[in-house]
Amino acid sequence: MGNNYAIEVENLTVKYGDEVALEDINFKLEHPSFLTIIGPNGSGKTTLLRTILGLIKPEKGYVKVLNIDVLRNPTKARHMIGYVPQRERISVNIPIRVADIVLMGRLARFGPLTTPSKYDMEKVKEALELVGMVDFWDKRFSSLSGGQQQRVLIARALAVEPKMLILDEPFSAVDIPTQREILNLLYNLRIRKGITVVMVTHDVNPVIECSDKIMILNKKLIAYGTPDEVIKDENLLKAYGVAIKIIPHEGICYVLSGDTHA
Amino acid sequence: MPSILDILLTPFMIRAFIAVVLIALVASTAGSFTVYRGLTFLVAGVAHAALAGAALAILLDMYGIFPGFSEVFGAAIFAVITALVAGYVGRKGETEKMEVAIGVSFALTMSLAILLISMIREYAVRAWGLIIGDILLLTEKDLLLLTVTTLIVVFAVLLFYKEFLFVSFDMEGAAAYGVRAELYHYVMLLLIALSVVVVLKGVGAILVYAMLVAPAAAANQFSKNTTSVMVWSFIIALIGGIAGLIIAALYINVAPSAIAGLIVTGSYFITLIVSRK
Repeated sequence: MGNNYAIEVENLTVKYGDEVALEDINFKLEHPSFLTIIGPNGSGKTTLLRTILGLIKPEKGYVKVLNIDVLRNPTKARHMIGYVPQRERISVNIPIRVADIVLMGRLARFGPLTTPSKYDMEKVKEALELVGMVDFWDKRFSSLSGGQQQRVLIARALAVEPKMLILDEPFSAVDIPTQREILNLLYNLRIRKGITVVMVTHDVNPVIECSDKIMILNKKLIAYGTPDEVIKDENLLKAYGVAIKIIPHEGICYVLSGDTHA
Repeated sequence: MPSILDILLTPFMIRAFIAVVLIALVASTAGSFTVYRGLTFLVAGVAHAALAGAALAILLDMYGIFPGFSEVFGAAIFAVITALVAGYVGRKGETEKMEVAIGVSFALTMSLAILLISMIREYAVRAWGLIIGDILLLTEKDLLLLTVTTLIVVFAVLLFYKEFLFVSFDMEGAAAYGVRAELYHYVMLLLIALSVVVVLKGVGAILVYAMLVAPAAAANQFSKNTTSVMVWSFIIALIGGIAGLIIAALYINVAPSAIAGLIVTGSYFITLIVSRK
């Protein structure tokens, strides 16, 4: 085995046609750790997540996930990762049960016509217990609240027994108590289960305390490091183009205005 | 005067009943995924492309350029091409982009269809059959083609059911978990296109939309799981089709496709009102 990095990204450039989405990104993330990625709209946050998952072919550079080269071996890398996409992209037009959604991710690894084993169902139950949704086993996904749906999607990611969780905007349209619950859950996964958590968010404040590392992205890597190193006036100005006030509280710096529509 | 039973047991009626079962099968399998993916507009677009394809087939046959060229075959070629083009535009899961592409191709193929149909005036009956359906005029060869196509659709949907559901639910997530999402996306569109052809032959281009979309849309209103959507959309489409045939047998001048269309769309509006949440 090599080193102990969850993610290694080197000289990464991603283009959509002629448009540069990410330029010369370099960073290494220890395993396990909690990484929060922030940046204005269109700054390439989701693109970075997709590249880590091997869903986008970069123009240049390489990505390794837990020592696996994602470009060469995307399937193997994906088996390490539980992914939680933006909830807005998910169809609520299908009458699928909560349990079946959680099972989806696990069964996807096998080809068509596989039926779930007892072990698969146990893992589904465990995952739903972890997110506190096991009582909703038989409910229709579309009948759940936003926060409940989000927790089910996290359970789907956990059911694949991942070493790393990747979440794209898990707090969008989720109320503050639910946001707290989800954050506690993610933090516990990082501390107790040794799972690396990588999260893209619009609102950095609730996550600062939990984050080992914060990344500010605006097509280029503006800043990367511990929250203390990163949450600084000049970094935010560089990323968002406007001065954003920072308020220190109990030794932690908070960003005034969570919204990033600069 | 022959009794109703005599009429219902004539060979052309029996063929029509078989066709109704085939239509109900694709309406339940491909139809439910059309509704899940919000691709109902694709059905309308593909149907009109298929109409142009069928009209072209008739022309090729009529002018002796390609004698015996099957309408079903012509329709299938055009339907598949349209679905694949739309699929290419929406390969990342953006339904909105697909709608624009389908809208434009709708206009193009409809113009083409009208042009081609206007050229086969002598064969107005055949052209009219494409538009409102000729379920009572199906030949054995037609029925064989429709049966094979239906079996392909049903078999593929059952085989890839899990993958189709995942891709319909969340295409990006499916890809991230190792499903070949783009491939299944194309396969799904291909099956929807083939289903359009089956339904077109039975009920005509205008009512394809009704027969392929309405039963699944109605079933989706009240069903608690996806199996129930399939079963109920099959039942709704079957009832509509059989009622259409029986009423057409009783009153010779009534188009069976119209009755079927009214029943399935009616069932949608009833479920909409009854299961209002």
